[in-house]
Amino acid sequence: MGGFLPPAERRSSALVALYVATSLLLLAAGERLPQAMLRGVGAAIFAPLDHVIMTVDRVMGSWRENRELHGRVAVLELENSRMRTLAAEDRALREQLGLPGYQGLTLRPAEVLALAGESAASATLSAGAQQGVHPGDAVVTSDGLVGRIGEVYPSLSRVVLLTDQNAGVACEVESTGVLGVLRFAPTPFPRLLLTLVPFADTVSVGQRILTSGLSRRYPRGIPVGRVVRLGTAEGGLTQEIEVASAARLTRLRHVFIVPGPADLGVAP
Amino acid sequence: MRGLGAFLLGMVLVLLLRSTALSPLAARGIVVDVLAFATVFWALRYGAVSGASFGFMIGLAADLDATHWMGRHALVLSILGYAIGRLARTFERESGRTQLVLIGLAVAVHQAWVVPFELGGLEGLGSGWPYLLGRVFIGALATAPLGALLLTAARRVTGRSVFGHALVNPG
Repeated sequence: MGGFLPPAERRSSALVALYVATSLLLLAAGERLPQAMLRGVGAAIFAPLDHVIMTVDRVMGSWRENRELHGRVAVLELENSRMRTLAAEDRALREQLGLPGYQGLTLRPAEVLALAGESAASATLSAGAQQGVHPGDAVVTSDGLVGRIGEVYPSLSRVVLLTDQNAGVACEVESTGVLGVLRFAPTPFPRLLLTLVPFADTVSVGQRILTSGLSRRYPRGIPVGRVVRLGTAEGGLTQEIEVASAARLTRLRHVFIVPGPADLGVAP
Repeated sequence: MRGLGAFLLGMVLVLLLRSTALSPLAARGIVVDVLAFATVFWALRYGAVSGASFGFMIGLAADLDATHWMGRHALVLSILGYAIGRLARTFERESGRTQLVLIGLAVAVHQAWVVPFELGGLEGLGSGWPYLLGRVFIGALATAPLGALLLTAARRVTGRSVFGHALVNPG
C-alpha cells in the first residue's frame, strides 16, 4: 500500500501511525506511568501563566464580590454573637454530660489556579508541600466541602473535587443523623448522590447534608450540600438521594485547606 | 525555529484558555471545545503533518491534565488533524460555511470519542447516551459558530487571508 504513495505522503502516514500507536499504548498502559510526576511538571510550568489570567479575571470580579462580602460580614457578625452564647451553653452542657469538647478547624487559605477536565473533576491550588499541605487534607470554601488533596508538589497541589468518580465522602443528614456516602454519578447525567441510605430512614428535600466524621479524612459537621430530589437506587434496596453541592464548584476562586490526621495516606 | 515557537505558543494558549476562562462554562455543561477548534485551525493552515502533530501534542497535554485514560484526546485529535490537513487543499478554506461545518464535525467526533470514557466506558454509555448526545450537540453548537466567527474577525481585523497564503506541506 505504502509503495503507491509519494514519499512525503508515506512519511506523514507513518508519523500518524506512530501517533495512533502511541495513543493506543497510553490508553492501554497509561495508568502504570508515573503520571503524578508528569502532572507536577506541567502544573509548575503553567502556574505563572494561570496566575496572570486568573488575576485579570479576579480583578474584574472583586468589586462586586467586595460589596456582597460587606453585607455578608454584617449578617455573620450578628450570627456570630448569637453562636458565641450558644457555644458557651453547649460547652457547659457537654461538660456536665462528660462529652469531649469540639475541636475547631485550622484553615489554610489557597488560591485556585486552574480547573481540570471537562466535568471539572480536579483543581490546581497555589499551596503545596512547602506550605504544609499533605495528601488527604480536606479542602473547603466558606460555603462547604470542595474535596480533598490528591497530589502534592513543592509549591502546588491538586484537589480531587467532589465531582471525581473516585471521591466518596461519609455524610449525615443534618439534625436526623441519617448516614450515607456521597458519590459523584456521571450517568444518566452528572450529579452528586447520597448513597447507601435504607428506606427505613426518612430524608426530605431541602435538608442539609454534612460530613459525618465517620471517615477520618473529613472532620465532622462541614456542610456538603442540600437534598434536591429523592428516588430509588438501582436495585431497589436503598434510596437515591440527589444532592446539590453547598460549595459552588464551578466558581472556585479561593479555598481553605483543613489539615487532616497525620497518619492518613493518599487512598480514598 | 519560528514554526516551533508558534506551535508551542498555540499549545500554551489553548491549554490556558481551557483551564481558566472556559472551565466554568464546561463545568456548567457548555463545552467550548477549544482543543478540536485549534486542531482544525492548525490542520487547515499548516497541513496534515502539522495538524496531526499539533493534535497529538495538545491531546497529550490535555490527557495529562485529566486524571485517567491517558491517550484518549491524543488519539482522536491526531487523527482529526491528519484527516483535515489531508483534505485542506480540496476545501474553500476561507469560507465561513466550510469552517463552520469542519469545526462542528471535529467537535462532534472529539466529544463522541472522549465522553464515553468519562461515563465509564460502554457500561456507562447504556444509560448515559442522552448525556453523550447533549455534549456532542451543545459542544458543536457552542464551538462551531464561535470558531467561525473568530476566524472571520481575524480576517477582517488583519485584512489578510487566514489560510489562503499559508504554507501547506504536501503530506
